[in-house]
This record gives sequence, structure tokens and C-alpha cells, in this order.
Amino acid sequence: MHRRLIIAFIVVALVAALAFQLVINLLLPLFPRLNDLVILPPGTLSFLYKRDLSHRGGPQPTPFLVMVLCLAVLSLLAVITALAFAASRPVLQPVRRLARAAQRMSGGDLSVRIQPRGRDELAQLVTSFNEMAAALEDKVSDLEQMEARARRFAGDVSHELRTPLTAMTAVVGILHEHPGLTGDAATAARLVGQEVKHLNRLVEDLIEISRFDAGTVQLVTDETDVANAVTQCLRARGWSSVNTDVPAGLTARLDRRRFDIILANLIGNALRHGGPPVTVQARIQSGGQGGGQLAVEVRDHGHGLPPTAIPRIFDRFYKADTARTRSDGSGLGLAIAWENARLHGGHIHAGNHPDGGAVFIVSLPLTGQDHDDAQLADAQHVTDIAAPLAGESRPE
Amino acid sequence: MATVLLVEDDPAAREGLELALRRLGYKVRAAETGEAALRDFPDAAADVVVLDVMLPGLDGFEVCRRLRRGGDIPVIMLTARGDDLDIVGGLEAGADDYVVKPVEPRVLDARIRAVIRRTARAGSPAESYGELMIDRGSLIVRRDGREVSLTPTELRLLLVLSGSPRQVLSREQLLDLVWDHDYLGDSRLVDACVQRLRAKIEADTSAPRYIQTVRGFGYRFGPV
Repeated sequence: MHRRLIIAFIVVALVAALAFQLVINLLLPLFPRLNDLVILPPGTLSFLYKRDLSHRGGPQPTPFLVMVLCLAVLSLLAVITALAFAASRPVLQPVRRLARAAQRMSGGDLSVRIQPRGRDELAQLVTSFNEMAAALEDKVSDLEQMEARARRFAGDVSHELRTPLTAMTAVVGILHEHPGLTGDAATAARLVGQEVKHLNRLVEDLIEISRFDAGTVQLVTDETDVANAVTQCLRARGWSSVNTDVPAGLTARLDRRRFDIILANLIGNALRHGGPPVTVQARIQSGGQGGGQLAVEVRDHGHGLPPTAIPRIFDRFYKADTARTRSDGSGLGLAIAWENARLHGGHIHAGNHPDGGAVFIVSLPLTGQDHDDAQLADAQHVTDIAAPLAGESRPE
Repeated sequence: MATVLLVEDDPAAREGLELALRRLGYKVRAAETGEAALRDFPDAAADVVVLDVMLPGLDGFEVCRRLRRGGDIPVIMLTARGDDLDIVGGLEAGADDYVVKPVEPRVLDARIRAVIRRTARAGSPAESYGELMIDRGSLIVRRDGREVSLTPTELRLLLVLSGSPRQVLSREQLLDLVWDHDYLGDSRLVDACVQRLRAKIEADTSAPRYIQTVRGFGYRFGPV
């Protein structure tokens, strides 16, 4: 590379020297003191100068000379520019390729490599760049593998816990119902029963969240009556104190089980940590993709969320109230609700109501993917509900 | 009282579930492996099989498939993972229902009751739909004059659907009516059972005549 630069430099220097000589020659008659430098024989340049002897200043330049001088300077500039450009091209091109590669890399594509050309410094730089990219790629893939292993481990541990929990869950009720247990033994039996239940819930939630981490969750959507889903969610858990305001006939395409999980976790959280009364409202909002979103608002009338807690409220095992050592929940409820909303293509917003109390707003797009496309259902041979049914013989 | 054949390899889980089921009033026969269960089975005379998925040797899916080949005993899969693969695999192998470990005894009890529940006989005359004959009195289904052997769940599903021909029933309604899952059942149970039923009664399962899918809503019987 530097060889080309030297050649370019020599060429420019030669041209500059020639041009200098030419300019000196042209200017000579204007400055008689430079007479000693005259190379050309006298009279050669007479077409360029008017010899006006009456004038003390000696020969005057003709307009032709002025034009030639201008042209010479301009063409000299053009030649130098062209030469500089030609000389810089081979230098700039690899630099541009490097810049593009660096840009792709900062965009997250660590697989980018550049073909080195030649054996000069730029080629060395390209080789170093490739080595750096390879090292970075290895490091990131190592980290990713470690993270995947850690997540798998959490999932595996939870799965392994299920087998002993199966035996414990099956028999713990027997202890509880046993009439022979009194006093301390009865208390112990109650505690064991209660904690087995708690452990079950924790393991269940850990497995659920590890499914999200592993990316194995699936959305199974059905046309869902929202009012019905809310009522069923409350009834199944015996939450009779919750006020609901959901218009009848409001339907959306949702995964019923996952929607129930979102509702149960938000309402359960409001009941445990917020103040009564807890209200659930559902509305259709315009906007979003395909037009329209289902917005479900769960609000309590307690002290609200501390401002510092709001950004972290959906973190796993995050507790807004540090004084509270442990609640009935697993500490994963809001994180699971958030993941489920995201799976639907929606989100949950957490904040405080101007009149006090915490507000969680779930926004889910009204159109979801079709359940009938799921692997168990036959998607190819379906009849259309819109087709007339009564009294018509249909081609089978 | 009903007899449960429990297939579970983990000794503690087996013992615990056996104890819980016995206290619920079931007779329990326990098997450690799928092979042992299949060996015992013809003589075990069980009313329902509660089958663990993760078994050494023959896995739960394979045991379920072989049980299905031999007869129409209801099978409930006991999935340790509750992962979709396990559930889908179990349902494709022919299981009637599934529960996720750790299961509470009262939940298992309710599921067992639902799958072994015999449909009440009705006094109505036999109905004919094309080549299909459904006799609600004797609870016999014939196709082209030959009796079709159905599990209690499959029979109930067919009777519920054919009970109101041309009316669309949602998966949710069917879960309630057939499986007694009044709340948040897995709609894949319905899809899997429909496919098994179609395999038994439809001439061409890819163009079903009797049990038709109504996209986005559920299933309906006919119109034939």
C-alpha cells in the first residue's frame, strides 16, 4: 500500500516542479530582476508581452497570457486532484469496508468477516479485525450457552422437585384430616400442609417462567367472552369482594388459560398488597395493529406503588415492600403475567391512579392467531360458520 | 368401587398416590413399569389406568398406545413436566385426559370419575345418520352395521354432539359436558378426542362427514 503512496507522491512532485518552472518562465518578463533565471531565448515569448518602451515598467502581459495562466492553474489543480483521488482510492476502500463491517458488528452481527487483500498495514488491520470479531463471537456464544445452561438448570431443578412433591401432595391431606393429631402435632401437620401447597405453587411458577425462558410456550387462542372469563377467574378463586365493570358481549381472541393467569396474578397481587376495594374494568380501545385493543384495568385503593418500585415491579422475585418477608405468592406472579401479555402481543402498564391506589393496565390486541391452526386440529377441512346451514345439502 | 391401575416408577409417588386413591375409595393395583402393567393388564380388570409418562423401558406413550390397541379402557396420563410435548404426545397416543404432577387427590378423583362415568341409557329409538347408527338405549354405535368400539369419553362426545345435530358446540362447552372440566380445561383434549372418534367412525378422516370442524368456534355433528 505504501508503495502506491510513494509513487503517487513522486508523480505529484514532478508535475508540481514542471508547473513551477513554467510559471517562472511566464512571469519572468513581468519581473526583470529574475532575468538571471531566463532559460528561453529572448523574443520567444514576444506573443505574450507587449514591449512598451515608453513605459518604465517594461513589458506588459497580453490578455492571452492572462487566459493561459488561468487555464494552466486550473488544469494543474484538476490534475493534482485527480492524482490525489486516484492515490487515495486504494487506501480508502479497505477503510470503508472496515467501517461497514464495524457498523454491522455493532448492530449485533458478530459473524461479519472481511477478506484481507495484499500484505500491507491495512491488510494487517483487517486480519486483526477478523480475529477480534471471532474472539467476540466465541465469548458471546459461551455466555449464551452458560445462560441457557443456568436457565435449563432452574427448569430441571423444578421438574425434579415435582416427583417428591407428588408423593407429599398426595398424602399431606391425610395428616391434616387425622383425628389423632392434637396440640403441637396438629399445628405441625397444618404447617406442613400449608407449606407443601406453597412449595407447589413456587415450583409451578418456576417451571412456567422457565418455559418462557426456553421459548417453549405456545399460544392457544379461542374467541373468549371477557366478562365470562373475569367472572370465572374470580369465582374459581373465591374472590367475592372484587368489583367488576366489563361490558357484556365483549369478546377477544385470547388464550383462555393464559388470560386467566394474567387476571389472577394481577387481581391476587392487588388483593394481597393493595387496599380494598379492588376493581376490574375492561374496554375496547381503538388503535394498535389491526385496529383495536382489549384494555383490562385492575385497580386497588391502597397507598399505591412506591415510585422506585414501578420500573422493577415485573422483575422476578421483586418485592416493593421490603419489610414484607414473604407473602402467599411465589414472587413470580407479575413476571408471569407480563410474559403472558407479551406472548399475546400486548403489554402491561403499571402505575398509580391520581386518586390513589395502584393501577395495572393490560393491553392485548383483539386479533390473535387461530387455534384451528394448532397441530392437533385439522386446519384443512373446516366448514365455514358463515355458510348457510339450514336445510341445505352440502357437498361433502 | 372402581379399580385403578396405577403405573408409576417412583416408589414414593407410587405409594403416596396409592394411599390417597385408596382413601378415596378406589381399589388400586400398582405397577412399577409399563411392561409389568401390560403383563398384568388383561387379568387386572381395571376400570381406569393412571399412567406416568416418564417410565423406564416402555414410556407412557407407548404403553398407552398398546392399551388402546387391546381395548377401550380409559387412560389418564400423569405428566411430570406438564410440557406441551408431553401433553400432546399423551393425547395423540390416545389418553382420555391428563393431570400434571404434583396432583391433588381430589383433582385426580374428579378426573377419574369423569373418564369412567358411564353415559345414562336413554329410551329413545336408534338414530341413523348415513352409514352411522347410534343407539342411545343400548349405547351401541354401528358403522355399516358393524359395532364400533369406543371409550366412555369418545362415546359421550359422540352422544353429546349428535344429541343436537347441526348445532355448533364450542370446545369449552364440550369440555364441560364431556370431561366435567367446568373451568379452564385444555381444549386440546377435545381436538384429540375428535380425531380419535373420526378415525373410528369417518370413512375419510381428512374430509369428515359426521364431526365437522367449525373454524374458530368448535365442532358440530353433521349436517349429514
